Amino acid sequence: MDKELVESIVRDVLGNLENQGSSAPQKSGNGLTAKDYPMGEKSKDKVKTPSGHTLDDIEFKKIISGETSGSELRITAETLNHQAEIARSVDREQFAKNLERAAELTKVGDERILEIYNALRPYRSTKQDMLDIADELENEYGAVINAEFIREAAHVYEKRKRLKGDR
Amino acid sequence: MKRSKRFEILDERPVHQDGFIKEWPEAGLIAMEGPEDPRPSVKIENGKIVELDGKKREDFDMLDQFIADHTLDIDIIEDVMAQDSRELAHKIVDVNVSRDAVKRLGLGMTPAKVVEVVGHMNVVEMMFAVQKMRARKTPSNQCHVTNVKDHPALLAADAAEAAMRGFDELETTVGIVRYAASNAISIMVGGQTGRGGVLTQCAVEEAMELEMGMRGFTAYAETVSVYGTEQVFVDGDDTPWSKSFLASGYASRGLKMRYTSGTGSEAEMGFADGKSMLYLEARCLYMTKGAGVQGIQNGSISCVGVPGAVPSGVRAMLAENLIAMLLDLECASGNDQTFTHSRTRRTARMLMQFLPGTDFIFSGYSAVPNYDNMFAGSTHDVDDYDDYLTLQRDLKVNGGLVPVEEEDVIKIRNKGAKALQAVFKELGMPDITDEEVEAATYAHGSKDMPDRDVREDFRGIEDMLNRGTTGVAIVQALEKNGFEDVAENFFNLLKQRIAGDYLHTSAIFDENFHCISAVNDQNDYAGPGTGYRVPDELWEELKDIRFARDPEDIGE
Repeated sequence: MDKELVESIVRDVLGNLENQGSSAPQKSGNGLTAKDYPMGEKSKDKVKTPSGHTLDDIEFKKIISGETSGSELRITAETLNHQAEIARSVDREQFAKNLERAAELTKVGDERILEIYNALRPYRSTKQDMLDIADELENEYGAVINAEFIREAAHVYEKRKRLKGDR
Repeated sequence: MKRSKRFEILDERPVHQDGFIKEWPEAGLIAMEGPEDPRPSVKIENGKIVELDGKKREDFDMLDQFIADHTLDIDIIEDVMAQDSRELAHKIVDVNVSRDAVKRLGLGMTPAKVVEVVGHMNVVEMMFAVQKMRARKTPSNQCHVTNVKDHPALLAADAAEAAMRGFDELETTVGIVRYAASNAISIMVGGQTGRGGVLTQCAVEEAMELEMGMRGFTAYAETVSVYGTEQVFVDGDDTPWSKSFLASGYASRGLKMRYTSGTGSEAEMGFADGKSMLYLEARCLYMTKGAGVQGIQNGSISCVGVPGAVPSGVRAMLAENLIAMLLDLECASGNDQTFTHSRTRRTARMLMQFLPGTDFIFSGYSAVPNYDNMFAGSTHDVDDYDDYLTLQRDLKVNGGLVPVEEEDVIKIRNKGAKALQAVFKELGMPDITDEEVEAATYAHGSKDMPDRDVREDFRGIEDMLNRGTTGVAIVQALEKNGFEDVAENFFNLLKQRIAGDYLHTSAIFDENFHCISAVNDQNDYAGPGTGYRVPDELWEELKDIRFARDPEDIGE
């Protein structure tokens, strides 16, 4: 990927961090339900872009002119947590949890997401590699749910002999 | 033996070219109700599942542990497991037991239990259950758009036509891997030309697929395969944890995704552990549910020859769709890869999903001729369009397609190819010539298309990717070249990522980018006169096939 793209991702990440105020996971607590869905129509006020713009600010002509950056066309952690709340209101607990893990990952760059995914594939990582990734996610991105999930994976991979060198 | 002339004729029928095999449970060549399938069981200690389907926690493989810890609902499981399987099957088909009430039972059953429950049902009961249990009220359809030459102009034209014909999702893949980005862009531009809001994907290796989504060349993903035994899962180069992380990665970019599984894959890969295909598929589905993925493509898919060859195999494919729905997952229900030479068999297999309706009746109707289908063909293709439209009309079923006029199709194909021609020019890709646009407009398939300079195409694609090109550049290219409406559709599709409404179960968009999913269009079937009914306006369209005669014209 080129420099400009990387920079735009970094801007995104920073925008996200600023919006959130802290890197701790933010659970949505707005009482959102299926009635507020689709959010793009019924709860526009609660949907923001990475730099804090509203949906209506993101106009076709501004994308054409370059006034609005393509990096604005991304979901934020806050919106994902809102969507998780809507998912719970229709009794989809596991799906809601996935959206909450995703909310944490909005702050992780594209390349790093791909690297971590590849590291979690069988026989790719030592147990320590995996625990290090978990620490990185927790300490650098506040991704505590993902960190716990990867620690759990490290234990399972060890037990089932799916770590680097086990093949 | 002197041969019977009748048997000689029978031997020449296409069905005799199909492969059939008698049941062989040890090798996993048994569709359902396998003699070695575990007896359903569950034990809970200190808030943890310590026994699952006859296996102790210390002996759990990756799938058992994932399902025990992430999927099953320990608050209800002991109660549901104690219920008689036949009684549970009754509840599933009883119109007086609501979909919501049945849905709650799903997470209270182990994989072995759910297989036992659906084992009590015949295909008519299963179809009835699908009508009641599918997640989205409105049925829909998905198609394949590919060709042997990976020809971009033809892909764009085919995608434009497919979108106009009513498919809500378009899936492409590659003949040669290095064409992936080109194919993804081609069907996305073509799709948004045919009908704004159509969702497009490109099935390639997992990491590459995600990258294309991140760039804005695709709108969703589906080829994220899961398997029913640990060995096959690992041979597929993944684990339940890596696949779950990938799922969250997609959602973190506002991209819809579903997993893919299907009966027969474990037997085909040689590690079925002596279990029935449906039992192993049930494990896939419980794993999918636990990962928090909104949906699944199943109904055997790429290993369909395996269940297709054994007794009750087509019934098992319907059963696996039904189990997905019992778990409240979106189901793109197969009718995908070719499994038979017999027109009778393929139609019968398709009716199982067509009649009750599913979230996507086909997870790949071939919107190209079968020779151009790079998913190893599909059960139905472009040459079947009029038969399919007739079936919808005969039976008053919405199978996801609408009648179209030849003139309109020619126009939209031409526009799709021209729009892509402009995009390629602006992105610095090798030219699409006017001759290629013309050929794509009127083509039946890639045999009617000139060859591309493949090396030049690869160079162009690589340069384009290296420049960090994203979907926004495509929007700008379309607008600059007078395709403002297509540009706006493309932009609107990218914009949907901000709100993430289409991450939800069974989500599609209408032509106004209004999101329709199992949140705001929940299936509420509760007997005759309820649930989905073909709306009057649509029925007028479906009735009006172009080859029906108008009584007013007769006798003129």
